[in-house]
Amino acid sequence: MDMPIMASAGDTITATQAPAPLPRERSWYPYLLIAPSMLMLVVVSLVPFLYTIYLSFHAAKFGRVTDFIGVDNYAVLLTDPRFWNSIGIAATFVFIAVPIEFMLGLIGALVLNQNVRGRSILIPLLFMPAMMAPIVVGLLWKIMLAGSWGFLSYNVLERFDILPGTSVFASPDYALYALIFVDIWQWTPFMMLAFFAGLQALPLGPYRAAAVDGAGPLQMFAHITLPMMTPLLAVIGLLRFIDAFKVFDTIYILTGGGPGITTETPSILANKMTFEFWNIGEASALAVLVWIAFFAFCSVFYQIAKKRLNAF
Amino acid sequence: MAEATDRPEGSKGWFWTGVTVLYALIVLFPIFWMATMMVKPNDAMFARPTQWLFTPTLEHFSYVLDQGFHWYLLTSFALCSVSTALVVIIGTPAAYAFARFEMRGKDDLFLFILGSRMAPPVCLVIPFYLIFAKVGLLDTFTGLTLAYMTFNLSFYIWVLRSFCRDLPVELEEAAALEGWSRLQIFRRVVFPLLRNGIVATAVLCFIFAWNEFLFAFMLGGKAMQTLPVSIPKLITAQGVRWGEMAVVGMTALLPVLAVVFVLQRHIVRGLTLGAVKG
Repeated sequence: MDMPIMASAGDTITATQAPAPLPRERSWYPYLLIAPSMLMLVVVSLVPFLYTIYLSFHAAKFGRVTDFIGVDNYAVLLTDPRFWNSIGIAATFVFIAVPIEFMLGLIGALVLNQNVRGRSILIPLLFMPAMMAPIVVGLLWKIMLAGSWGFLSYNVLERFDILPGTSVFASPDYALYALIFVDIWQWTPFMMLAFFAGLQALPLGPYRAAAVDGAGPLQMFAHITLPMMTPLLAVIGLLRFIDAFKVFDTIYILTGGGPGITTETPSILANKMTFEFWNIGEASALAVLVWIAFFAFCSVFYQIAKKRLNAF
Repeated sequence: MAEATDRPEGSKGWFWTGVTVLYALIVLFPIFWMATMMVKPNDAMFARPTQWLFTPTLEHFSYVLDQGFHWYLLTSFALCSVSTALVVIIGTPAAYAFARFEMRGKDDLFLFILGSRMAPPVCLVIPFYLIFAKVGLLDTFTGLTLAYMTFNLSFYIWVLRSFCRDLPVELEEAAALEGWSRLQIFRRVVFPLLRNGIVATAVLCFIFAWNEFLFAFMLGGKAMQTLPVSIPKLITAQGVRWGEMAVVGMTALLPVLAVVFVLQRHIVRGLTLGAVKG
């Protein structure tokens, strides 16, 4: 029970040793156990989802639901350049931030695996950014990158003559990259520790055998470490993709989607449509599209992870 | 499990320790900087060039207390405790069932749980807002507790399931052969073994609820203000109250910091591999 938990957790990823279910239990008993949870999830998840679908087919403005209008909301949304802009912004954000976090995290994990001392202090410290409230992360970087007096604004950006006097978050050219930078700051340490936990769980046998055969560190990495880590790398990477797409709080407090619409992701746009323009029908259509995309992604991901990677 | 010293790579431990420490210092510097701003007078805060030394002041703390921020702290704490307790009570049996029993449609049910966790909160806040407005749950404790279930209950079942799967099934079978009832088996065999996992997962749920912003912001009004929600309120018409923001931000951060240090091993597992394993 008390062995290093990170190591024990990794084992089951690569091995398919899940205990066999008790054979006699094909009865009502398990259904009784899951019933309260399922009921609750129907209330807090399925009902809101169905209601969103309902709203998306209706004219709903200022909190009043009026006529059934079929797919009009979808038609308006799909021809709205602002919608496609938000998709593009989110795609840029995700496809720059996540690969960088992934690479840096992997390098960091390999470093951490090199007999680093004092891990019991370093690991919780490095975990801090991932555990912080996103709104506090936003606040932190608002302070660091505040116009003219912010620590990084004054000491780095102005020194190199980028954007003197204004905050980087107010610049149409740089705001998105500043948000990407914040995301990388927050999530690289998390990736690093997740991958490190995976490295710690790898069996030693193959390394010993490879050492006998005279393999170098690079060969060991390419032929032993990487193949054995693939399921973990894939799953963590995909989870991060999903989460990065959802980011709301930090963008909300740092730029609010601006300047203009240069950092307006679908999350920010949906929120504006609802609580600023009160165009709930169209916002619901947007939510349904995002939801369907996520759910399709999840089920494909689940199937792949289960069948191909033995990760579930 | 084998200690890291057995690894073929890496004998230059101190060099890599230095690299890691340097990296940690750079990553954590913004947090340190925010901490100093709690006691930094305003003129020192805005000084150019950056001022490292200053006479500490408690003015930001007194403003925060004057504005009644300790009530937000209390609200946050009560809300997170109740919603987490509820998640543990109804989620534990479900996690156990998903780990142990064959059920028809198990994959579909599980996908449903997974889907609940994956949904972007922004998509949920719209229907929640309208439904809550209709049934009078806006700006109530019950309403926010319910909303927090969406992400925490699914996460809890997901992670605790992996803890359940690591329990040796033989003990339960032996107890069943002894003629123990299912409830007895759960209470005397499963629960004691699962306690650490439950605590670790519940703590993560508490932290997620603690950090939650959007639901609390949109569904809670005057009566239900949590700590994260109070942060944007310090952007006032007279300007941004940076020092006060730092105080509130650090207050939101400290419990999390403490928990991460105390439960670090479980947390790393819960957040990473526990979640990954499904």
